[in-house]
Amino acid sequence: MNTFVQRFSTTGALSEARKAKALAADDEEFSDAAWGSEAGFGNIANGVPTFAVPAVPDPSAFLRLHTDDHADPSCRIKIQHGTTTLAFRYKGGVIVAVDSRATAGSYIASGTVKKVIEINPYLLGTMAGGAADCQYWETYLGIHCRLHELRNRERISVSAASKYLSNLVYSYKGMGLSMGTMICGWDKTGPAVFYVDSDGTRLKGDLFSVGSGSTHAYGVLDQGYHWDLSDEEAQELGRRSIYAAGHRDAFSGNTCNLYHIKQDGWHFLGNFDISKMHYEGPGDVPGSFGKGYGYDIRVEGRSSANPPPAAPTTTVTA
Amino acid sequence: MAAYFQAPTAYSRTALPPLAAVSAPQHLVPPSDTSGTIMAITGVGFTVIAGDARRGDAFGAYPQVRFVPTVFRLTDKAVLATNGFASDGNIFIKKVRQRLDWYRHAHAKDMSLHAIALLIQSMLYQRRFCPFYVHNILGGIEDDGSGAVYSFDEVGSYVRETCRAAGSASTMLQPFLDSQIYPKSSQPPTPGSATHLSLARVLALVMDSYKHAADRLSHDQIGDGLEVYIVLSKGTSTQGLNIEGVSEVTSIPGGERIFLLRRSLA
Amino acid sequence: METSFAITGKGYVIVAADTTAARSIVKMKTDEDKIKTLSEHLVMAYSGEPGDTLQFAEYVSRNIRLYAIRNLYALRPAAAAAWIRRALATSLRSRKPYSVNLLLGGYDETEHAPKLYWVDYLGTMDEVPFAAHGYGSYFALSLLDRYHDPSASLEEGLATLKRCIDEVSKRLVVSPGTYKVKIVDKDGVREVEL
Repeated sequence: MNTFVQRFSTTGALSEARKAKALAADDEEFSDAAWGSEAGFGNIANGVPTFAVPAVPDPSAFLRLHTDDHADPSCRIKIQHGTTTLAFRYKGGVIVAVDSRATAGSYIASGTVKKVIEINPYLLGTMAGGAADCQYWETYLGIHCRLHELRNRERISVSAASKYLSNLVYSYKGMGLSMGTMICGWDKTGPAVFYVDSDGTRLKGDLFSVGSGSTHAYGVLDQGYHWDLSDEEAQELGRRSIYAAGHRDAFSGNTCNLYHIKQDGWHFLGNFDISKMHYEGPGDVPGSFGKGYGYDIRVEGRSSANPPPAAPTTTVTA
Repeated sequence: MAAYFQAPTAYSRTALPPLAAVSAPQHLVPPSDTSGTIMAITGVGFTVIAGDARRGDAFGAYPQVRFVPTVFRLTDKAVLATNGFASDGNIFIKKVRQRLDWYRHAHAKDMSLHAIALLIQSMLYQRRFCPFYVHNILGGIEDDGSGAVYSFDEVGSYVRETCRAAGSASTMLQPFLDSQIYPKSSQPPTPGSATHLSLARVLALVMDSYKHAADRLSHDQIGDGLEVYIVLSKGTSTQGLNIEGVSEVTSIPGGERIFLLRRSLA
Repeated sequence: METSFAITGKGYVIVAADTTAARSIVKMKTDEDKIKTLSEHLVMAYSGEPGDTLQFAEYVSRNIRLYAIRNLYALRPAAAAAWIRRALATSLRSRKPYSVNLLLGGYDETEHAPKLYWVDYLGTMDEVPFAAHGYGSYFALSLLDRYHDPSASLEEGLATLKRCIDEVSKRLVVSPGTYKVKIVDKDGVREVEL
């Protein structure tokens, strides 16, 4: 009787062993799905994806040896680090703004990177840290948000989606993933922004900026931010903050991609060249004051010189 | 009762997915970069994917092999160029081709270009913790007939672009390509095709870039053979291809066409 | 730098934790609640490795809740503290330990006495009259040795807590700006503004 109970129980040591065995049997590189229509995303469509790890005593040390360019600048794989991304919540929705530069060491590998990942029509994720980590896991998140929708007949909340991602990356803690992302959207509770990173941190908040240029962006953003911003003001603030980071941080720049999330989902507002914004401004767009953001242009004609009032002319007589 | 406090699976710390072990050297030897340069450019209705064919050894002392292809035809509309650790590159190409064969057997058609890009992403990311040391550039024709170039990093992040150079001469060639392909000073936000360049002009750009890069770089970095694949969308004229060394390698007539141009860089 | 304090007094325990969530040199958030209410008469302030803290706190809080649902009776502070310590100790001997430091403040309805436990990531636990974690502890513990009174009224207790916070603000180079303060007594858990 006891053995019978044990065989069919779902808790206890034996069943744990059974589960482990079932999992171990499944670790072939290709599932049958690879043969069929899932050949594209076969790896990640079937629940938790599997990853190859090097058969060495400490796999993450092995990985670090090849990818950590702080420790070894000549390492083979350079993970992209420099970035500025920001997102904030205000009465009219969420503004998401990012730069578009990818650097590998001191080389600008690309100036046209898409750092906003369109998870689905009402959820956006931003990308900082490892480009592949963000792209892959946020695509994966998108699949599971859709599954949630199909199972529950309602859209996933931003809170739940971000928690899904946070729990997922937390399970890989210490393995060398690198991502700092903001999951932004509009759900039943209104506009929402969550910060999620590869440490496993997940924070709900009104305003976040991530990346090497974030301190520069915060400087402009914090000072200009308040809840009752108009749409035009908010868009201008996002753009102006990314410009500030692109101008001051060597690892951020090129262009700024701007998104606005409203009740009906996200809208792409445009791509703005940062050097153009410096000299000419963002162009004819809402919120623009029609002038370059550059300091010299902004203060043109003004001077700090404070000469004494012209002295009365005195005639020197001999 | 201890079982009361067993963490539910979702909260359990041992919920890490099963990790398939692959054999790796027990003592950690960084794979060597066996150099070479690859490049791809897309124009209206065509894409050009090129790579040189010299391989150095791990010490970069002398060209060890003088003809090793780095550019591979995947289907009639997709070509993949690899750069980096040659042995990883070869095995990766083999794996991609196997997946494409399986797809062909299941669906009786070739996988579309953007689907191949997604496939390559998930294949590279599967080795996130033991990466393939290769930089991939995928070029070809999309289902809508437009030319496309996708470039990947070693662990699978990718973007669609108009042109891309990678490998030992990339820092030399990419700025030059930018100057020719993006008429304005900065790159356009949406990747498209270089509309102002003809196939003949793009081919000349590629061949000249390689020739001059080979003249400037040390001998183990680049040289010997140059292979250029040209993919034409359905109905695009072959004007510009009537030059020496071009042969057609299309497998199924009536669709996209692929040509291969072989040149010596000596 | 993360700092938390707790002090017991006549029939109550006060638990305070700073509210900043920092990454590198940036304050990502300044109103984060790092004190979880585990049951009607038990709170837990947590600090340590980002990610680990919240995951562990949620793991603990769900299990304490589960016990209360199954047994129609919540764990008393001493039992809860023992279980939480054990969870940390088990974790310490696993492949990936939780790096979390805790202050557990509770009110034992059977003994009619406040209880305070200091727990660190190594699984060390002690029942104490007052406690602190983080850089703040270097300033606050000596202060509390001098000023703590186990029979202090709530007003006096809060005044002592205020001393700790003021001292840390005055002397610590990177001191946290704001604190969340929670009190546990016979009536349950409540938050107060200092």
